[in-house]
Amino acid sequence: MAAATAQTWSDSPSQVGSDAPEYSIPSLFTSDPPIRDTLETGSSRVQDATLDECLPFLTGYQHSECNAHGLPHLDRGRHINFLHKQLGKLPGAFTSADPSRPWFFYWCLAGLSLLGEDVAPYRERLIETVRPMQNALGGFAGGFGQTSHLATTYATVLALALVGGDEAYDVVDRRAMWRWLCSLKQPDGGFQMALGGEEDVRGAYCASVIISLLNLPLDLSPDSPACSAGHTGLFTGLAEYVRRCQTYEGGVSAKPGVEAHGAYAFCALGCLSIIDSPHRAIPRYLDVPLLISWLSSRQYAPEGGFSGRTNKLVDGCYSHWVGGCWPLIEAALNGPRGAAANPGDHPLPRAMESLSSRDGLIRYILSCCQDQSRRGGMRDKPSKYSDAYHTCYVLSGLSAAQHKWDLVTPRAHESIVAGDVWTVSPYMEGEQIFDEEDRVCTVHPVYVIPQHKVEEIQSYFATKSGF
Amino acid sequence: MPPKSKGSSKAPNPEPKEPLHLHPNLIADLSPSQAAPESPLPQTVSLRSEQRFFRTNPCEKRRQDVGLSGLTPAEKKTYTYTHLILPVANRHVPLSNKAEREFWKHVTKEGLPIRRLPANYSWGKDRSGRDIGTYSPDELEQRTLKHARLTALQIQHRQFLSKRELAAKKQGAEVSSEDIEEEKKRRQTMAALKRDLYGEITGTLAKDPEWDDVIPIPQDEPEGALAQIAYPDDYAEAVSYLRAVMAADECSPRCLRLTEHVISMNPAHYTVWLYRFKIISVLKLSIPDEITWLNQVALSNLKNYQIWNHRQLLMDYYYPVIEEETAVIRTLARSETAFITTMLAEDAKNYHVWSYRQYLVGKLSVWTSSELGSTQNLIEDDVRNNSAWSHRFYLVFSDPTDSTAGSGPTEHDPKVPDSTIDREIKYAQEKIALAPQNQSPWNYLLGVLAKGGRKLATVQEFVEQYVSALGEEMEEVTSSHALDLLAKVYQENGDTEKAALCLRRLSEKWDPVREGYWKYRATLLQGAVESA
Ligand SMILES: [Zn+2]
Repeated sequence: MAAATAQTWSDSPSQVGSDAPEYSIPSLFTSDPPIRDTLETGSSRVQDATLDECLPFLTGYQHSECNAHGLPHLDRGRHINFLHKQLGKLPGAFTSADPSRPWFFYWCLAGLSLLGEDVAPYRERLIETVRPMQNALGGFAGGFGQTSHLATTYATVLALALVGGDEAYDVVDRRAMWRWLCSLKQPDGGFQMALGGEEDVRGAYCASVIISLLNLPLDLSPDSPACSAGHTGLFTGLAEYVRRCQTYEGGVSAKPGVEAHGAYAFCALGCLSIIDSPHRAIPRYLDVPLLISWLSSRQYAPEGGFSGRTNKLVDGCYSHWVGGCWPLIEAALNGPRGAAANPGDHPLPRAMESLSSRDGLIRYILSCCQDQSRRGGMRDKPSKYSDAYHTCYVLSGLSAAQHKWDLVTPRAHESIVAGDVWTVSPYMEGEQIFDEEDRVCTVHPVYVIPQHKVEEIQSYFATKSGF
Repeated sequence: MPPKSKGSSKAPNPEPKEPLHLHPNLIADLSPSQAAPESPLPQTVSLRSEQRFFRTNPCEKRRQDVGLSGLTPAEKKTYTYTHLILPVANRHVPLSNKAEREFWKHVTKEGLPIRRLPANYSWGKDRSGRDIGTYSPDELEQRTLKHARLTALQIQHRQFLSKRELAAKKQGAEVSSEDIEEEKKRRQTMAALKRDLYGEITGTLAKDPEWDDVIPIPQDEPEGALAQIAYPDDYAEAVSYLRAVMAADECSPRCLRLTEHVISMNPAHYTVWLYRFKIISVLKLSIPDEITWLNQVALSNLKNYQIWNHRQLLMDYYYPVIEEETAVIRTLARSETAFITTMLAEDAKNYHVWSYRQYLVGKLSVWTSSELGSTQNLIEDDVRNNSAWSHRFYLVFSDPTDSTAGSGPTEHDPKVPDSTIDREIKYAQEKIALAPQNQSPWNYLLGVLAKGGRKLATVQEFVEQYVSALGEEMEEVTSSHALDLLAKVYQENGDTEKAALCLRRLSEKWDPVREGYWKYRATLLQGAVESA
C-alpha cells in the first residue's frame, strides 16, 4: 500500500492527549470515500449506516488493545473455544440447521485447522456421526433419513479429509457416490444439488471437489440424464456450463443469466482449477480481465472488506468467497513458477503485485469481524452475531491475505484431475500490519482444507482406480 | 384461487373484457346467472363446467352423439365456423378480405360464442384428496370465500408484524393492547381456516388414530455425535414419522399434511420439500392451490430458498398441462409477477426471488413491456438496485425474438436491433446522471456497448462530463467509474499515455483501495502496445 502509506497519520504510535491513542492507520481506512453521490436511496442509506457501524472499529476506538497499526489481536483462544462448542450439543434454536449439520462439521474443523488446532481427535466421533447420513443410493444427506445433497456431501467429504486416516476415508461408498453423481449430471453439463433439486455453479464446484478427492471414475453411467445430450463423462460440458454463468459485469452468477455474486465466482474458479490447471482452464473459459475488474470492485474503503455483489454491503464471509479467488486468478495469470512459459498458456501479463489490498482486508477482519464478547467467533459485520460459517470463511480469507500461493508444477496432462503442485509462503511485500502471533495457518486454494490433507486423501484413493 | 367473477350479463355471448387473460378457474367458473335457462342446475362444479363447455361450443354435443357426418349441413357450418373463430382472429388461417368479412358477418348473425371453453377442465384435488370437481357450486363458493378471508387476515397479520417491528426499532407508533388482542383473535381464526382448508396438523401424531399404522423411525444418534441438536419434541416426532412414510414411499393426503407440519417448524428442510413435490405429482393435486399455499409460506420465510426450487418444480410440472392455453399462461405469469413484486417489496435484492423471476420469464415467455416496466420501477425506486439492472439486461438481451440464442453476455449480438441498443444506452446514461458514482448503470452501459458491438469512443463525450482537468491542479472527478471507462476509451483510441494517467489517478486519489488492480491494468496497456 505505497500510496496509502504516504497519507499515514503518524509513523510511530504515540499517545497524544488523553482522548484516544493515535495509531498508524492510513486515512484511506478511516475516512469517507473520496467520491459520494448526494442522491439518497435504500442502498445508500444502508451503506452509510454500515460505514457508521464500522468506523469506530476501524479507527481502533472500539478496541481495548491494539498494535501499532491500530489493529486488535486475533482472539485465538476464544475463537477456538467457539468452534469446539459449535461441534458439541446445540440447543433447540439450531433446529433449522437440522438439514445442514455436515456444514457445521466442515466449518468448525476447517476453522480449527486454520487456528492451528489438531482435529484428528474428532475422527471417531465424526465417523460415527456421518455414517447414518450416507444413503445406500450414494451421497451424504443433511441428516439421517434425509435425501443426499451435493452441498452436505461436499462438506462431509472435506470433514473426513480434515480428520484424516484410512478409517475415515473408507466411510465413503465410492461406487454409490459415482452412480449418484451420474444421476445429478444434467444435459447442459452442470449438476443438480439433489435429485429434483436446483442446478447451479455450487453443484459444479462441489461435484468436482468430490470427484477429484475420491479419485472417482470420470465415465458417465449410461442411465445419467446427461447422456441424452451426448455427454460421456462427468466433466464433459462442465467448463462450458461454468462459462455460461459469467455475466456482463464480469462476475459469475448462480446459473446463466442472473446477477453476478461473490460465492459463485469462487465456485466457478475452483471448479475450473480442478478440471485443468488454473493457468490453462481459467483463461480458456472466462473473460479474465472483466472478471478481475468485477472482483476488484468488491473491495470497499474505508471498510477494507469485500462485498458479494455490486452495491451490496461488505460482509466477512466474502473474505473467502472473493478473497479466495485471488490466489486462483494469480495462478491463472502467472502460470507455473519458473516453468518455460508457453505463450498459449497465459496470454495475459503476469501480476507482479497483489491485485487486491491485503492490508484492507486484514484490517476489516481483525477490527470488524471478531466477536467482542466472551462468546468468540467471527461475524459478517459488527452488528451481527458470530457463527460457524462466518468463522470458517473469515479465517480462510485472513489466511489468503497473509500468504502467497504459487503454482509450481502443473499436472502432467490436462485429462488428469489432480496433480497440480502449489507452494505457499508468508506474503512479504511492504510492512506487515499484523503481529506474527496473529498469523493463521494455510488452506489449499481450491479445496479450502490444509494442503497436506488434500495430498493424503488423494494419495489414499490414487491406489484405487475403479472401485 | 382468485374470487369468482360476478358477471350479470344475460346476453347469449357475453364478450369478456380480457378474453386472453383469464385464469382456468375463472374460465370454467363464470357466474351462475349466465346459465342458459334450459340447463338443469348442475350438481357439481365439474358438471357445471361441462354445461358451459357445451354452451360455448355449439353442435359439440350433437357431434359427439351422431358424429360429424350425422350433422345437418347448417349444423356442420356452425360447427366449422365455431372452430375457425380463434384461428381466423389470430390470423392462423388467412382469408381474403371478402371471405373474412363474410365469415364475421355469419358469426355475428348466428351469435356464435367468440370465446370457447376448453373441454375436461381439471380442477385438481383438495387437501384431503377429494377432486374439487365433485364440489357443489355452493361448496366451491364457500371454499373460495375461505381462501379470500384467510388472505385478508394474513395481510392484517403481516401489517401487525411490521408495526411491531418498527415499534421495536422506535421508528413507529407503539403496539397497543387492543392491537395485541385483535392479533390473538386473528390468529385463532386463521388457524381454524387453515384447518378447514388444508387440514393442518395441530396435535401430536402418536395420539392421532390416523397415524396408528405407522411405526416412526427415530433419529437414534450415537453417543457423542457432533453438532447434535436438542430438537423440540414435536419436531423430533414429526421427522421420525416423515422418515417412516418416506421409507415406505407413501404418497397420500396425510403425508401431504405431514410435510406441511414439518415445513411449518423447519422450512429449511430441503428433503421435505422434494418429498412434498413428489406427493403433489403422484396425487395430481391442484397446482394453483399449492401456489396459493406456498405464497403464505414464502411471505413468512423471506430468506428461505427451498420455496423457490419448489415453485420452479411446480411450474415445470404445470406448464405442459397449460401449454396450449395462452390465456391461462398469461394469467399465471401475471399472478406470479404480482407475487414476486410483493416479495421484492420486502427485500428488493433477494437473490432467490430474482433467480426465480429470471426462470419464469424464460419458462412462460414473459418478454413483455410490462415485465420491463415493473423491473424499471424497481430501478426507479433505488437506482443502485443491481439485481434489477441484471434482470433488465437479461430481459433485453435474451428475448428470443430480438437476440441470438446462446450469445454470451459480453459478445456482440448483431440480432439485437440498433434502436434497442440506443434506447438502453440512453437509459443507462440517464441513470448515471442521477448518481454518477453508482457502478450499476456503468456496468450496464459497458454491457450494452459490447452487445451492440459499439466502440467505447461512442460514449467518450458523455464520460468526459464526469472528469475534468485530469492530472492538473484543478482536477475534478465526480465518478471513479467514469475515469475507469475513460482509461478504456483512451486505450481503444491508442492513446496509452492518457489511459495510463487515468489509471494512475485512480490509484493515487480516486479509488486507492484498488491500487493493485489499477497497476495491473497499466500493465495490460503495455501488452496492448506490444501486440499492436
Ligand atoms: Zn456473510
